[in-house]
Amino acid sequence: MASTQSGNAAAHFAERVGRAWLAGLAGLGYCGSLVVESLYWLFLGPRVKQTVRVGAVFAQMMEIGIGAIPIVALLGAAIGAMLAIQGIYSLSIFGAESRVVFGIALSMTREFAPLITGILVAGRSGSALAARLGIMTINQEIDALTVMGINPVRYLVVPAFIALVVMVPALTFLSNVVGLWAGGLYVGIELDMSMAAYVDQTIETLSVDDLMHGIWKSLIFAVLITVIGVANGASVTGGAEGVGRVTTRAVVQSIMAIVVTDMIFAFVATR
Amino acid sequence: MDTSPEPAESVKVLEVENLVAQYGERIILDGVSLDVHEGEIMIIMGGSGSGKSTLLRHLMGLERRASGTIRMLGQDTAALTGQEKLELHKRIGVAFQGGALFSSMTVGENIMLPLQEHTDLDLRTMEIMARMKLEVVDLAGFEDLMPSELSGGMIKRAAFARAIVMDPKILFCDEPSAGLDPVVASALDDLILRMRDALGMSIVVVTHELDSAFKIADRMTVLDAGRILFIGTPDELRAEQSERIQNLLHRRTEEETGDPEEYLRRLLGERLDKEGHP
Amino acid sequence: MNHEVTEEGKAIVVALEGDVDLSSSPDARKILLECVRKGRPVIVDMAGVSYIDSSGVASLVESLQGARKAGCEFALAAISEPALRVLHLARLDTVFTIHESREAALAELG
Repeated sequence: MASTQSGNAAAHFAERVGRAWLAGLAGLGYCGSLVVESLYWLFLGPRVKQTVRVGAVFAQMMEIGIGAIPIVALLGAAIGAMLAIQGIYSLSIFGAESRVVFGIALSMTREFAPLITGILVAGRSGSALAARLGIMTINQEIDALTVMGINPVRYLVVPAFIALVVMVPALTFLSNVVGLWAGGLYVGIELDMSMAAYVDQTIETLSVDDLMHGIWKSLIFAVLITVIGVANGASVTGGAEGVGRVTTRAVVQSIMAIVVTDMIFAFVATR
Repeated sequence: MDTSPEPAESVKVLEVENLVAQYGERIILDGVSLDVHEGEIMIIMGGSGSGKSTLLRHLMGLERRASGTIRMLGQDTAALTGQEKLELHKRIGVAFQGGALFSSMTVGENIMLPLQEHTDLDLRTMEIMARMKLEVVDLAGFEDLMPSELSGGMIKRAAFARAIVMDPKILFCDEPSAGLDPVVASALDDLILRMRDALGMSIVVVTHELDSAFKIADRMTVLDAGRILFIGTPDELRAEQSERIQNLLHRRTEEETGDPEEYLRRLLGERLDKEGHP
Repeated sequence: MNHEVTEEGKAIVVALEGDVDLSSSPDARKILLECVRKGRPVIVDMAGVSYIDSSGVASLVESLQGARKAGCEFALAAISEPALRVLHLARLDTVFTIHESREAALAELG
């Protein structure tokens, strides 16, 4: 009797794990098909006279990109200064403070700029995307689009997708510039190094590959933020409370996806 | 536009055969068949949980069915390619229960949206068309307001205007009079009748309001627990003797039958094991 | 949709034929606006119109506005029953000058 019961429990557990896996796979499949569908409308939509709205793309770019400039700049500067402070402190143990420029240049461009920008945009725009789609789903606005013969992916998702894919790398670049500059300011004060010398050393240290490593990563983050935001927004149930829930979930999942992807990317790229 | 000289009654714009719908294991619609003719107002009635909303979602092409066929304007909706489906959707209009107006656009922009997406008309022509539809629904002069500035009845009327802006062949209305005061609700009923008479469209209305249903219906379909209980004219429905129909018409809820012991156990939250012991 | 533009007396008669719907009303609009710009009375003979949708009606409204601007008369003639119902729904039958037939319109304006 007892053995069959524990057998049942094991079977039950296995079933739940299996279901969770299936749900996860279905979610991944949905995200994948979303990317494919977005690309379809972007490149093949004009052929069937179903173009992506240019106005909406620019509106989204303003919202996602231009609107985020102050906060990205502020965070970039803070991270740059933080890297300088921390770098000088740790390197002083070996008496190698002057090597801090390498550390700042490489960490900022390869890791911190894309990571911080990605997390910030996930919190700012990924959540907004999920909330907007969630509210539209609940108000039957998505259904209304569908029955009007207007594809919701083309009409709503693609503009946000393009805007994110363009703006996240652009913001990452901005974050690089501001972060390196702020790091330079601190290094200048602490180590009495001129800005010109700092810039020279930074340029000497950095290769185009380092810069692109970060930019490519930020592009992937943009795709992750879009699909996770959309998938959560579209799956909303349960009224206004549900919108709050999916919005939170979109942010948490995006940040998780960004950090894990970043780790995998760093691992693969340094092999 | 096809202008076949046949009598209007003979053309079926919508044919549903043996439609089965299920969510997971639960069967929501169980073999539903019905036709809607050209120029006809068909009312779909039923209590909550009868499956009437699900049926409407299937008719609008928003759900995937388990089995059965839906032919709309002569085309099997399951056999359509994406492009053909889009063409079909241009010829149907839907007035959603909550209006489903896009909250980021003005009323006028909402109404013009289908035109902007699907036609090459001049902007001026589109504006005039949108204003004409607003006239039809008695919302003249409201085109520059945002949906959030409208009352519930106005939102429904604006949704009507958007639904008919492309002069659809079939118009679907989901609970047009729900949540409205009787005067506004009655005005909406008149509007539905006028639109049918003037534009010759077929109109499918899902409602649970009996008065409104009897006022506008050419034929009525009564759904119960996913099956069709009755299809016929309002007069036929009134004359129908079956107890369930009479209960529905006189707003009686069916009496719970069952044994008092069972009822007590339900209240106490006790469950029986497989052998029937508490 | 087919159309035929003829000049009878000082009036221009535009005879529309077939369906005036979303696909053909831009053409109808262009023809009508060109005619009213000439500053002469315009009569739209709708005897041959089998179907007119609201984009067609909107084009007529625009043409009426054009005619008013150009200071000329604009009249509809021989409207079929279904087309009249569409006009009536939007209460436009009060706005347009409507004549029984082309001849009646010409007698008035020509």
